[in-house]
Parts: sequence; C-alpha cells; structure tokens
Amino acid sequence: MDTLVLLGGGFAAALTPENLLWAFVGVVLGTAVGVLPGLGSAMAVALLLPVTFKLDPTGAFIMFTAVYYGGLFGDSTTSILMNTPGNSSAIATAIEGHKMALRGKASQALATSAIGAFLGAVVSTAVVAFFSGVIIDIALRFGPAEYFALAVFAFVATSAVVAQSMIRGLIALSLGLAIAMVGIDAQSGAARFTLGVPSLFEGIGIVTVTVGLLALGEVLHVASRIHRQRDDAQLVRTGGSLWLKPGDLRRAIPAWVRGLGFGLPFGTIPAGGSEIPTFLAYGTERKLSQLRARRGKRPDEFGKGAIEGVAAPEAAASATAGTAMGALLGLGLPTSATAAIMLAAFQQYGMQPGPLLFERNADLVWALLASLFVGSVMLLILNLPFAPLWAKLLLIPKRYLYAGITGFAVLGVYASSYSVTDLWLLILLGLLGFMMRRYAIPVAPVLIAVILGPLAETELRRGLAIGQGDVGVMFTGPITLGIYAVILLAVGIVVVARIRAARRPAAPAERETNPTA
Amino acid sequence: MNPLREPAPPASPGSATSHPARSWLRGRSEVFVGLLVVGVGVFLAAQTTAMHVPDTSTGPGPQLFPGLVSGLMVVLGALLVVQVSRAPAVPPANGDTGTESAGIVGDLVEGQETRRTATHSDWRTVGLVLGSVIAFTLLLQPLGWLLSGALLFFGVSTAFGGRRSLFEAAVALVYSAVVQLAFVAGLGLNLPSGILGGVL
Repeated sequence: MDTLVLLGGGFAAALTPENLLWAFVGVVLGTAVGVLPGLGSAMAVALLLPVTFKLDPTGAFIMFTAVYYGGLFGDSTTSILMNTPGNSSAIATAIEGHKMALRGKASQALATSAIGAFLGAVVSTAVVAFFSGVIIDIALRFGPAEYFALAVFAFVATSAVVAQSMIRGLIALSLGLAIAMVGIDAQSGAARFTLGVPSLFEGIGIVTVTVGLLALGEVLHVASRIHRQRDDAQLVRTGGSLWLKPGDLRRAIPAWVRGLGFGLPFGTIPAGGSEIPTFLAYGTERKLSQLRARRGKRPDEFGKGAIEGVAAPEAAASATAGTAMGALLGLGLPTSATAAIMLAAFQQYGMQPGPLLFERNADLVWALLASLFVGSVMLLILNLPFAPLWAKLLLIPKRYLYAGITGFAVLGVYASSYSVTDLWLLILLGLLGFMMRRYAIPVAPVLIAVILGPLAETELRRGLAIGQGDVGVMFTGPITLGIYAVILLAVGIVVVARIRAARRPAAPAERETNPTA
Repeated sequence: MNPLREPAPPASPGSATSHPARSWLRGRSEVFVGLLVVGVGVFLAAQTTAMHVPDTSTGPGPQLFPGLVSGLMVVLGALLVVQVSRAPAVPPANGDTGTESAGIVGDLVEGQETRRTATHSDWRTVGLVLGSVIAFTLLLQPLGWLLSGALLFFGVSTAFGGRRSLFEAAVALVYSAVVQLAFVAGLGLNLPSGILGGVL
C-alpha cells in the first residue's frame, strides 16, 4: 500500500504540464537518436547534460530517462523497414523483422515491436517501483568489500564477458580507469597525472569523456569511411492495418512474456546494455520454433520472418531499461552506458544514487518512476502509428547531421566548464574514440570505468584501511563471495564458449553498430 | 597518437612483394595500438613512482591503484601486440556484407566465430573534420560562437561532401544562430560573443 501512495504522489508530480513537456521532449529525442544508426541514448544524454544544468533536477531526470526509454523504442523501426539497426540492441530484431517487412507484413512487425517495447518498459518499471524496498534492504547491507566486489563485477562483465575480444575489452577498461585517476586524489590530496596543468586538477569531466568518445569519435569514424559506405538500404513500404490478427497475437504474447523473462534480470547486471538479453531471447525463440516444427505443430518460420523473432527481443531490450534504472537508483550501480552517464548527472546535481536517495530525494525518485509510465504510453503512441515517419529521419543529409552533432559536441563540452582546455581534451578523446572504433575496441567499458573507477578505488582503500592492510577483508561476507563466484562462473562460461567456437570453422563477420546503447 | 597517422597500406596486390616491411604491417597496424597502451602504462608507472605524496599515516595511499592499473596496461598492451602479430586482420570479403554479430552472445547463438576484418580510412575527410574542430577551439574566444560555430558546421558539412559552398555557409550560419538563440537567450548558457560582442 505504501508503494501505491508514494507512486500516487509521483504521478501527481509527473502529470504537471512542465514535467509532461520534459517527458515529451525526452521521448521525441530518444526515438530520434534510436532511429538514427550510430547515435544512441548515451550520447544524447551526455550532450543534454551540460545544457540542462539550469533546469530543475526532476525535470532534467524525467527527460534523461525518457531519452533512454525512447532509444529502445526507436531502434527497431529502421531494423524492420531497412535492415539497418539503429543500435546494437536492435540487431536481433532486424534478423526476423526485416524478413517480415519483405513479406508485406511491415505494419505487423512494427506493431509487434512497439507493443513488445511498451510491455517491457511498463512491466520492468512496475517491478522496480514495487520491489524498491527489497533493493534498498539489500543495498543497506553493503560495505566497502561489497561495493568493491560490485564494481569489479561491472568491470569484468562489461570488458571481459560482453566484449568480442577479452584483451580489447580489458584495454578499454584500463584506459577508462587511467582517465578516472587524473586529478587531485580526494583522500590524500596528491596530484595525479596532472602534468602540472591547473585545469586538470579537478580531473577530466565525464561529459568531455562521453562526448569525445561517443560523439566526436563517431563523427571521425563515419568521416573515415564516408566513401566506402554503400547507401543502398531500401525503405520497405508499409500499408494495411496496424492491428495484429488473433493468430499473430496468440504467437506474440508468449514470446513477449519470455522476452521479459530475459530482459528483467539482465537490466540489473552490468553487462553494458541490452545486447545480450536480446540475443538470448532471439536464440530461445528460434530453438522453440524448431522444436515445434519437429513435433509437427507448425512449420519453422525462422529465416522467413517469424513474429516471435521480433516480439521477444524487443520486450527483452526495453525490459532491461526499467531494471537498469532500478539498479541505478537503488544501488548506485550503472549497468549500461546511458545509466553510467545518468549517475554522473546525479553527481552533478549533488545527489548520490543508492539506498539513501529514496529517503533524501523521495519526491524526485517517485516522480521519475511515475513519469516512466507516462513516457512509455507516449512512446507507444509515437511509435505505433508514426513509425514510417520516423524512418524518414534517415533522409536528413549525412553532412548536416554530423555537422550538427559536432557543433553540439563542442557546445556541450565548452558549456560544462567554460574552458578551452576541455575542448583540446575533447579532440584527444575524439581521436581515442576513433582509434577504438577502427580497431573494434569497445567504448562502453571506458565509460563504466570512468564512472565506477573512483568508487572502486575509494572502497578498496577504505576496506584495506579497516583491515589494516589485510587483503582478506575484501573477500569476506556472503554477498561479496557470492558476487566473486558469479564473476568466476561467467568468465569460465565465456572461456569454454570461446574454445568451442575456435574449434568450429570460422565465418567472417563484420561488426558495424555501436555497442554503447 | 602516432598510430592514427599511420597511412592505410595501398590496396593494390602488387605492392605486397615490393615492400616487405609494409606487407608485414598489412592487417597488423593494430600493433601500434598495443604499443601505445604499453607506452601509456609505462608513463603511468613512471608518474606514479615520482608522485609527490602528502604525509598521511593510515591506509594505502594514492599510489596503490595507479600501480595496479599501469601494470595491467603494460601486460594487456603486450598481449595485444602478440595477438595481432600472430593473427592479422583479414581483408574484407568481396560483396559480403557479413552477418551482424553481437559479441560472445552472438557467437553462442549463431554458432560462428567472428574474424576481424581490415578497414581502410579516408584520411582527407578525417583531416578536414579534425581541422575544423581545432580551428573552432582556436577561434572560439576571439571570434565568438556565432562565427566560429558556423565555421565548424561549414567545415564538417564540406568534409562530408557538401558542394554548394554558399548554400552550406548559409545553413551553417542559420545553425549557429539558432543555437545562440536557443541556448544563450533561452537556457542561459554563457557562450563567448567575441568580436560581435558590441553588436549583439
């Protein structure tokens, strides 16, 4: 009952005209960056962060989360209509979704994906709202050892488990940790890696890092391949009814539910976003379809445009967004690049996500959760009938799109500190981001490391200080040991899978989309 | 940032035999990334040992974490160099757009291993974009946002293939003016007005 009262208060705050406006701006922006390949919600929030610092924090966070959710709705539109995933989270949707569109079922594919995304968003937000008490109870038992283990978990999960190459993932992680160490050490006052430059004493700003790696790095990367990219993607025409037939619904509903089952837990695991659960959901549906065909129930439609292949990944992708917000708000643990930047945004407003946030900033938290429901409804309306319109965004000439992004990148970085030194740092980080893209080094681990690096270091030093130098204190307690056990298990599974894959004949495949959604 | 300046090896097959050093580097330009990581690691280690630590008695100091990270970087960079030398990137297959992959999970689902493919870069376009951003950084304070922002937009859109210079310049000016109105007048950002300071 308590939760309902709090949520009711949240709705009262979320439904004010001002907050409705911010939610609307957020969902429109989020859908737009979701539709456009190469742009993601992480970059959009990073660009918005410096220009919104004069807003009231509730409005700003409503807009940021609306961008996050919107990105997961918009990314499937171009997957289905053009076989061009807007983000890595929509690659799985593209496999069957585009085939459906080619078979003349584009409208049904779009509806299946929009409803799936809506269900994922609403159910996961509800789970967070009603289980926030449980999350807080667990979080309150966390000490230095637990927080350090959690940070290590996030580091290993994003860099070694998710990344295609373990070495490249770990290199990205160590680069991020190195960037995070620049500046005056808060505990001892020692200047670290500042080279005597006064503007580096406060460290390298998260906005500069994110915008450099994601925005400028992406622009340079696209520039380097501008004459090689073939623009032969064709927009499939949509027509006919948006309504799903009862037969379609009977197949889509169980797939949506199974997709939710993959998405909900994965949102709380720092695995760099929604890529993994979408592929797990897709793989499961394909296996189930083969099973059904073997039993003679229904021919296996995978490869020809199976509706389950669209429903499950989309529900999984957006279900991660809600539980990721839960992990961020309740534990202070960012589980995706966008959540990492939102954590930085909380710090910019002088708030620390974690169990105490629900006490100190209860108004903001519940208004935010309520506005996520409101935003999901807006997104369903925006994406269901208007999906073909959004795909027209791809008609914007590339040169204006990237010139505009470059302009916003320098504007955002300059506005966050009013220092030209930061613009030089932006250029260096842009080159770093370009180099990382060129050599397929993932960017998400850098962002997670920059955000969680200082936390990991503080907790490690605090823990060691309590134990008076005894390293053993970092490995005590059931939660800590449990987290390390999961890490070892995950790394073990990946190593076994890699060895197995190496024994199979290799097929060349290219990695195109940006893994930082 | 040396590896970034490394030009892409020529694409003609004949050059492979005439330049043995180049041909070894083909598909292996990433060794410079590995060396760069090792270099950064060594630099961090040197800076860490030379760090001036204010007197604090309790607990591990500010050098512990940098020490760990620098060691990690040296090891990882060396591993990358070894890995790239042993297995260079394969040239992109002709006409094959490739299946999209999602890392290890994609491997698990699709049952196929992904192989890195070599990419070549268009350094002229990259240089133009980079030059525009550097010019913006130098000109922002003296010229102000309106002009330097328009110049940046113009530079990038020209680099990306804009041909009608006058039209592109007009679009660029509209862009910087709209940003000025929205963010300076609307959201209260404090962008430099530069030489137009008296006029605006």
